[in-house]
Amino acid sequence: MGLVETFQRKAAKLGLFPKLIRLLPIFSLITTIISIILLLILPLDGQYRRTYISENALMPSQAYSYFRESEWNILRGYRTQLQSFSNNSNFEDISNQFAQKITTSEERFRTIESWLNEFGVKTSIYRNNATGDTLYGILHAPRGDGTEAMALCVPWKNSNGNLNIGGTALGIALTRYFSRWPIWSKNIVIVFSENPKQALRAWVEAYHTSLDLTGGSIEAAIVLDYPSVNDFFDYTEIHYNGLNGELPNLDLVNIAVSITQHEGMKVSLHNLLKDEVDENNYWSRLKLILLGIKDSTLAGVRKVHGNEAFSGWRIQSITLKACGDSGNIDITTFGRITEAMFRSVNNLLEKFHQSFFFYILLTPKNFVSISSYLPSAVLLSIAYALASINSILNTNISFNSLLAFPMTLVQIVSIHDKTSMSKIQIKNMLFLLVSNPFISILIFTTIFESENFKGLEVFPALISAWKDLNCWSWFILCVSWWPTWLLTVFSTMTTIPIPIVTNDSEDIEIKKDK
Amino acid sequence: MIYSKVFTGLTLSILVFQKVHSLESLDTEINSYEYVTTQTEEDVTNSSIFGALNCATTTDSLSSTKAAEQKYVDFEEVLHKTDNHENIPGILTNYPVTYPYTEKMNLRPLPNNHLLISFIFDMSSEPFYPNKNALDSGQYSHYTVFPKIIKPLLELTSTRQFQLRFTRGYWDSETWGALPYNGFKSGGSGVELWATIEATSKETAYEKWKTLANYLSGHFCASINFIDNSKTSFPQYTFGSFFNGKEERIPLFDQKRENTDLYVLHASLANEPVCTENLTPLIKFLPARGKTGISSYLDGHKVFDSIWHSVSIDVDTFCEREDGQCQYKMEANVDMVIHVPNTLERFENPIPKPVAGDKLKCDLSKPYDIYECFPLSESTDTNFSLSQLFNKTIKGCNNFIKEPTTICVQTTNEWDITLKVIEDGQKDSFFGTPDNCFELVSSKEYDLIIDTHNSQNVTLIDEVPIYVSRSLTGYGQDHGGLRTLLRNPSETPVKIIFYESLPWFMRLYLSTLTVESTDPSINRDTIMESMYYSPAKDREKPAHIEFLLEIPPLTTVTFSYQFDKTLLQFAEYPPDANHGFEIEAAIITIVSPKLYQLRTSTLLLLLSTPDFSMPYNVIIITSTVMGLIFGVMFNLLVKRVVTLEEADKILVERSIKYKLLVLKQHVLRKIGLTS
Repeated sequence: MGLVETFQRKAAKLGLFPKLIRLLPIFSLITTIISIILLLILPLDGQYRRTYISENALMPSQAYSYFRESEWNILRGYRTQLQSFSNNSNFEDISNQFAQKITTSEERFRTIESWLNEFGVKTSIYRNNATGDTLYGILHAPRGDGTEAMALCVPWKNSNGNLNIGGTALGIALTRYFSRWPIWSKNIVIVFSENPKQALRAWVEAYHTSLDLTGGSIEAAIVLDYPSVNDFFDYTEIHYNGLNGELPNLDLVNIAVSITQHEGMKVSLHNLLKDEVDENNYWSRLKLILLGIKDSTLAGVRKVHGNEAFSGWRIQSITLKACGDSGNIDITTFGRITEAMFRSVNNLLEKFHQSFFFYILLTPKNFVSISSYLPSAVLLSIAYALASINSILNTNISFNSLLAFPMTLVQIVSIHDKTSMSKIQIKNMLFLLVSNPFISILIFTTIFESENFKGLEVFPALISAWKDLNCWSWFILCVSWWPTWLLTVFSTMTTIPIPIVTNDSEDIEIKKDK
Repeated sequence: MIYSKVFTGLTLSILVFQKVHSLESLDTEINSYEYVTTQTEEDVTNSSIFGALNCATTTDSLSSTKAAEQKYVDFEEVLHKTDNHENIPGILTNYPVTYPYTEKMNLRPLPNNHLLISFIFDMSSEPFYPNKNALDSGQYSHYTVFPKIIKPLLELTSTRQFQLRFTRGYWDSETWGALPYNGFKSGGSGVELWATIEATSKETAYEKWKTLANYLSGHFCASINFIDNSKTSFPQYTFGSFFNGKEERIPLFDQKRENTDLYVLHASLANEPVCTENLTPLIKFLPARGKTGISSYLDGHKVFDSIWHSVSIDVDTFCEREDGQCQYKMEANVDMVIHVPNTLERFENPIPKPVAGDKLKCDLSKPYDIYECFPLSESTDTNFSLSQLFNKTIKGCNNFIKEPTTICVQTTNEWDITLKVIEDGQKDSFFGTPDNCFELVSSKEYDLIIDTHNSQNVTLIDEVPIYVSRSLTGYGQDHGGLRTLLRNPSETPVKIIFYESLPWFMRLYLSTLTVESTDPSINRDTIMESMYYSPAKDREKPAHIEFLLEIPPLTTVTFSYQFDKTLLQFAEYPPDANHGFEIEAAIITIVSPKLYQLRTSTLLLLLSTPDFSMPYNVIIITSTVMGLIFGVMFNLLVKRVVTLEEADKILVERSIKYKLLVLKQHVLRKIGLTS
């Protein structure tokens, strides 16, 4: 205590506190810069780690995967049948569009249901007029207790709106194949939803509230996306970012990556192109960090792959997407990823808990954990805290998001400096315009997400994320940001010159301002 | 103490091979039977002698005590109908020595190529008088075929009846219909035990129950000893006398004390793994020890490879009202459901590898070629034998038993059931009966061949009076909900008793009980006739709910309640804390239109689980915070608050320089150098 006291007294003597308080905006800026530097340090060698399977029970790819050979014939058999449905649904320009769609989806469900019942899957259709019906089935684990489950989801339309025929055929063929194995200790839930967004989300919600046919708590979910009808594809994309910043346990991502690579495929994260996948240098790693942060921020707002639907129920989920129409990897290889992953998850005795829930991937096999990126994140939040303290103590203004940073630069118009006044006002206008939540999000997305959001499309996407997926982080962000912005606008508006009475009072005013 | 007793019991029951002296004096009488294929007299005699030897090795040692008066006779391989076994033509003996033991095997094909296999073993003790000491009555009592371990246990714990269930798997009641024995012989997933115990109070009943559980735990190699008061409940209606009037039959043995009563206790260990070590003790109970008769099929590899299996042990006391003579009865059942094609395939192909391309069965109505094949549904042509399923034939023998071993197949006319008798060095003989029931009387090897062209044509499945599903609802680790759905598919109202015992760490709010139905006129008051609720006590007692409900015809009723999830104490978490906590199945007993019992699935409840590497960090952080707080508080309490000027003055006064100065001046003053 003595030491602190001495310091305090020294500081008091030197009058450090008012100085420090006056320097708060600079400190805020410095911490922001340090935070960004810390982030830039992360991709340097020695700062990140190789991924590892933390839960020993998982043992990915330890068992030989048998989804091959004649299973391919069966898969093709189902696919040909499914293609006939896709032909039906091409008649969308026929006058009674809606009725046509309903009948085809109903018809499709009924047919798939009859196939699934053949090999002992209990099926049920979850009816939801708003989002579309969902067919799901439960393959009960032989001699299992039926309290745990793994989900395999195949939306009929994928994130791009293409028909997921390959994925659906794969889902059915895999379920048939799984039904012959006696090894399952967890139930297998197979879900055929209309789309990977609201329909799947509604089903997940119903599963935990009102469905009659349930198969226990879902431990892990895999969403299959194989839009092409070709037998071959090029590489696999793995999508793992959940809603509201949630990530699946790193172990699940690890087994997905390790199995996919074990089967001889290239793994792409965050929509990297195939040529970029193998790059492993400072800039590629930095790029993936930034892409990871961006995708996590915009999860639910941009294209929804399906794994987002499971966020919030302690379900670890990822989406596997087959990319490219040609290549030398066949569709059963894609099925083997699911098979091997299910066998890994099947081994689990406890829920996923061993590995990290907060991480950033630098390459599919390298990551930084929360302890590495936390300093950067904490410093950034300290910058905001400092800025807000500044705004309270120095009658300045506050801001609360990185995009809102320009707001901190908005200055209170000095009263006596009339020459700079108009300049500052223009600057203020500009800063305020840029820091408006909606405008800044729009600018951000048009710069970084131009392929996904054209023009003002981001706003309907935000609303739909809130409405269909319960993605509340954006709502909270906007709700807290918008009033602050309004207050800022209000405070800059009111700083009109007041009539100066005396020189003394003017001095006081200036002091206060500073 | 308990374990030493168990071991004594086991050593006693070890078989001692004893020669049968009376073999030479066999009366050989052969009675030919109409089905029997031609055989020479000599061959038959030889085989019968071997049979007799085999039987002697397998029966209990006490069978040899009576061996002198036992006359071994020839017994032909004879087939009987079950309804006329009063005059069995195959066995001819002057003094047949039999013991109160019967065994039976029932096969029942289920839809989609499934097969239900049931083993039934019945045995009873010698009659005894409960209130008379054996020494007083001068009666010599013996265990005979009744397991030696059970009777002392029953006497020690004053147990009148206990039921032990080991069940695993999923019974598909929509396809397979009602459970075997109307559900009264199968439990919820895991281990379930309930007992009727005579005691003076609930507390003594619990003490005895605990002893019983520990005893059974040691004996059946199951974790039944984990049953404690936080898992035990006292069912009011579901078990015991409420609907079957069993209590009337069981008199109180201890009539000296006035306030004795019968208590029914129930506990279950949800999702307890069931395996070979639980089955082996049961096989040891059987007189044939799994060597001959149908019990030789009780192989752990086969039983526990099935989709659904249930091992049940019922011990009961039967007393005659007039003279008070009582008898213990034990019924052991092993039931299993197998998927026949998969089971058969596993012999040829232990790993279900993809079928070879040329063996694929394709739907010819759909496009198919060398690359493409829409799979045909499972073939309904079925032909298999029991020896294929179990990898061995049955050795029929057990000629000490009251009724011959019976195998019955319950199915339609489209199935051909043939009994194959395998004779050494001879052509096998085949038999069939109109009702598909066969009795195995000789010591020959038997096999049952089952053949049909339409395996979907099975006996009409028994309608299940009610379908049930139960699930956990809710979001997060703070609270949750429990939702139970009851669907009455029939056109008659169904009266049920709903029993649920929930662990104390589910803090149940019965006020949140809501009843929903497809019929809007139904609410809580219209369907609930009576309700019993005994709230949980932390770490002491589970919450216990019993409802008497009447579900109207063709109606679905859903009732749900909310609960809070508790934080457990550090040491209360099991080693696999992140697995979640097993919630035992609810028991639904249907009282009318027929007696039927079924269980819901078990559930896995997730409580918030600490990261168990955290306590170290927590201890460090807490200590630091405590240290800081203590330091500040101590300073505030002890230190004097002074102004800065005063403080400076004090500081100056305290410095050594100042003190030296003072000392110097003092010294100087003493020697008078200063004024």
